[in-house]
Amino acid sequence: MPILRTERLEKTFDTSGADTSVVAVRDVNLDVEAGEFLAITGASGSGKSTLLHMLGGITRPSGGRVLLEGVDLASLGDDDLAAIRRRRIGFVFQRYNLLPELTLLENVALPLVLDGRNAAAADAAARESLAAVGMDHRASHRPDELSGGEQQRGAIARALVTSPAIVLADEPTGALDSANSARVVELLQRLVAERRQTVIMVTHDATVAAAAGRVVKMRDGRVAYDSASVEVPVS
Amino acid sequence: MRLRSLLVRQWRSRPGRALAAAASVAVAVGAVVSTWTAADASRAGYRKLTEAVAGVPSIDVTARDGGRFDATLVPRLVDVTGVRAVVPLFYRPTLLRVGDNRLREVAVGVDAGALVSAGLMTLTAGEPCLEFDEVVLDATLAKGLGVNVGDEVLFFARRRIARMTVTGLADTDSLRWFAEGATVVVDIQVLEAMSLSTVEVDRVRVALTADADRERARLAVAERLPEPLAAEVPVGRASMADDVLHSANLGLDFVTSLTLAMSWFIVGNAMLMNVAERRRGLSLVRLLGATGRQVRRLVMVEAAVLGGAGAVVGAGLGLAAAGPIAAGISKALHADATALITPPLLLPTAIVMGVAVAVAAAWWPAREATSVDLLEGLSAAPPPPPQRSARMLLVAAGVMTVLTAIAEVLMAYGLLPPRASVVSGIALLLAFVAVTPFLLIPLVRLLGRLVPSRWRVEGALAVEQIARRPIRTALTAGVLVVAVSNGIGLGHAIRDSVDDVLNWYGKMLKADWVLTQAGALSVTREERGADSRRMEDEVRKVDGVAAVEGISLATGRAAGMACVIIARDLPPEGPLPLEPVDADEPQVRQALERGEAVAGTVLAQRTGVKPGDDLAVEVFGRTVTVKVAALVVDYTSGGASLQFERAAANRLFGMEAADVLLVTAADGKAASLGEPLKAIAVEHTMLLRSFAEVRRFIDNLVSGVVGSLWSILGLGFVVGSLGVANTVTMSVLEKKRSLGLLRAVGMNRRQVIRMVVLESLLLGAGAGIVGLVAGLSTALFIQFASQPLLGHPLQMRIRMGVVAANLAAALLVAAVAAWLPARRAVRLDVLESLSAE
Ligand SMILES: Nc1ncnc2c1ncn2[C@@H]1O[C@H](COP(=O)(O)OP(=O)(O)OP(=O)(O)O)[C@@H](O)[C@H]1O
Ligand SMILES: [Mg+2]
Repeated sequence: MPILRTERLEKTFDTSGADTSVVAVRDVNLDVEAGEFLAITGASGSGKSTLLHMLGGITRPSGGRVLLEGVDLASLGDDDLAAIRRRRIGFVFQRYNLLPELTLLENVALPLVLDGRNAAAADAAARESLAAVGMDHRASHRPDELSGGEQQRGAIARALVTSPAIVLADEPTGALDSANSARVVELLQRLVAERRQTVIMVTHDATVAAAAGRVVKMRDGRVAYDSASVEVPVS
Repeated sequence: MRLRSLLVRQWRSRPGRALAAAASVAVAVGAVVSTWTAADASRAGYRKLTEAVAGVPSIDVTARDGGRFDATLVPRLVDVTGVRAVVPLFYRPTLLRVGDNRLREVAVGVDAGALVSAGLMTLTAGEPCLEFDEVVLDATLAKGLGVNVGDEVLFFARRRIARMTVTGLADTDSLRWFAEGATVVVDIQVLEAMSLSTVEVDRVRVALTADADRERARLAVAERLPEPLAAEVPVGRASMADDVLHSANLGLDFVTSLTLAMSWFIVGNAMLMNVAERRRGLSLVRLLGATGRQVRRLVMVEAAVLGGAGAVVGAGLGLAAAGPIAAGISKALHADATALITPPLLLPTAIVMGVAVAVAAAWWPAREATSVDLLEGLSAAPPPPPQRSARMLLVAAGVMTVLTAIAEVLMAYGLLPPRASVVSGIALLLAFVAVTPFLLIPLVRLLGRLVPSRWRVEGALAVEQIARRPIRTALTAGVLVVAVSNGIGLGHAIRDSVDDVLNWYGKMLKADWVLTQAGALSVTREERGADSRRMEDEVRKVDGVAAVEGISLATGRAAGMACVIIARDLPPEGPLPLEPVDADEPQVRQALERGEAVAGTVLAQRTGVKPGDDLAVEVFGRTVTVKVAALVVDYTSGGASLQFERAAANRLFGMEAADVLLVTAADGKAASLGEPLKAIAVEHTMLLRSFAEVRRFIDNLVSGVVGSLWSILGLGFVVGSLGVANTVTMSVLEKKRSLGLLRAVGMNRRQVIRMVVLESLLLGAGAGIVGLVAGLSTALFIQFASQPLLGHPLQMRIRMGVVAANLAAALLVAAVAAWLPARRAVRLDVLESLSAE
């Protein structure tokens, strides 16, 4: 069974003011297996982020469904959805990843605290996770004291701290120089290799996408290309 | 780390926001505590004032036929709820000889010992009269005669001439309550014996406790009385004071309720803002897996903690402020500042309310923030104008308006007490607040055009900031509207009702000198008519007197209701001393001369009498049917009056003696009349007062009451200003990041400050205009509401002073409250402000 499956997934935005509505994602059918490292690419505005948001249950689809570990996200109430986000999904965003008031350690521990884990256990797990991304020496710093790449690694540490079934990352390298983005990509690759972690990453950087085992390309809200389904044409 | 500590971190990183939220609760709780205490002090002061002017609240037991009656007919009354003492009164005109002076006086027989010990008669010197040959004299009279305690006077009674010793002197004010013009106090049995009448009394006065419900007590007393006796509220006593105080009490209710409503509104507002501005942060916590419930709980805990801390501080501040304010009010009301009493439940109630309102106000935006789509919550763009809330607001405004209208109609028909107007007045104000968001943005755009062109950029940005943040704008404006309308509405209402009383007084009392019977009510008719005519002639003959108007007063009944009958000479030319309602003066004058009556509006309101109706009027036991020609505004006896032309009243009821003489001097002669009039006054046992004295008395009374209202209104003003300052500060603090961005793109510090201040000024002006309309409506509303109380509409005028003061204050507070935090915000370097969430 695929760890993640989408069926005829669709998202339409009713733009307030303008009377046209925007179809951001239409008819997306994807199967993602456990341990896969999937890159979603495509032009700006092609619907990558919207798709990722629906996969993570951050926004509800206008049509079709998302099955995470066989569970239809649309069938869940708010609380159950929150629990799924907390335990089974790790997010890495391009922006607003870390709460500015909290230290890096506290940021990483937050999902566990929200889950009711006791403070000491949460801290220990957070440290471990930070060590995995090589950020444990900056644990007590606040986000605005860190560089963009460091913040991004911190965000990955937070995404991993709950040992989620799947990590969703939206342009994790978007704001980074090539050296730093290489480090982040390496980190993700290592996760997939060592922990059999499933990762879905949105990027418009071809070199970053090349690091993934599978590439899906979006155009106008549809999947235009999927490296997994491309077979050698039989003549 | 625990989830709670996330809160602490947030407070630490945004101390301004947390402080402002807590401060709003402190302001509200402080306002509640101090306003309440001040209002209590005012009410206590009013009560004392009423007692000082109108005497102890009381009920009279009289014979239905107007004559004397057997005192043994009166059952035991002291155990009726609210009764303080039962005082049988027996009046007797008498002749007194003191040295060479022969005086015509009225003697009153009472149980002097009991009166003194009940605190109803105050002796300035000596002892109460108890024995056969003892007498107590009015202190003023005694002073005029040069009589002291221990002196002897000759008392000419029907049976004999008694030589009596003056055992004490009674304070004139304390005498006024029961003596009705009598200046000589004798034991009741002594006076009866000397008058050859046993156990007869003129009336039994039942003194009530200060807090007794007069009407309930009257009914309870009436129930026990045998058929020939009636219980009624004594009329005609200086009850103008009563009325000033009655409307003052209503005003007080309005002022306190509006201040309280405003306080809670400010709290709600601050908490709403506190949470609404953090939508993004809360969404991020949700994104990381917090459930909606966890986020809501977090927000509520925060509200409870901030609310609790604010409430405790506010209670302390309120208590500290209450003392001086209450003392000031007591002083303005000439009441001795008794120990400041804070009701025991006030503090805990205020604190609990503070926390409860804070939590309730936080709950709503927390629910909003946790029920929106996460993606929406995370967007940096301002939250979209909530269509649903907009509709809800409009519906709420509609409902409030309709409720207010219904309440108003019910009140007009007497189905709801006038006090209900306080609640519906607040509903009306809330309706205004609800429509503010819809009016404000177009208004601000309009006002934006007035910004000088050299500040065009800042002005345009300011307008956009206001327009793009509809929720923040609506909340800030809401507080401004409430504060401005509170000030304008109540300012007008207070000035209007005071002017109404003063106008009436000015019309009714135009004279240079006023001669009155000390208590101003005809006790007996015998002999007085002729004496009175003689005195009037003497006054007329005094050199320099231009005109003399006599006024005769009596108690009577019309349509079963006790009322005061006023009979007065009409000035041959010039305006009538009356304020007819919907009738023209010449016709009213003719009707009065024909012997018709004009009825006070309150009497008309209570009895349903209309102009043109015939009315059975009973005076001195004689019933006559008269026609009501018109209605007039009158404050005498609360407007429950029936007025006649004096000659007509004499014909109809035999009311001849003048109880009040108004003397107008020829030009420039006013001062020279003092001496001769004084002589006449002494001879005829009248009290002479110059108009200035009368005026001073009234002005004192009115200014005391007005002063107390103003000081509470001032308190409301301070609360409003603090609320506005708080809200504006909060909203500037929230803008730190956008301000940093503006500077990053090239605005200098001065421009940024100017923009923020302009924004606040535009908002203040827009909200000020809405508040002005709301305030004038409130004033109009209070006016309607007082109609059932006064029986006539108050004249309302737009008072530029009140309006200007309120608008200027609103603008000033808005500008300063924006300037201070803006100055601080731009001191940060650009990077720092950009990193602010
Ligand atoms: N909240 C929204 N309201 C209206 N339209 C939206 C909204 N979010 C996205 N869109 C539109 O949906 C389409 C897809 O947006 P999306 O953010 O998914 O693109 P993207 O592929 O992530 O682009 P980029 O590479 O620039 O991040 C775009 O045309 C965008 O304008
Ligand atoms: Mg995107």
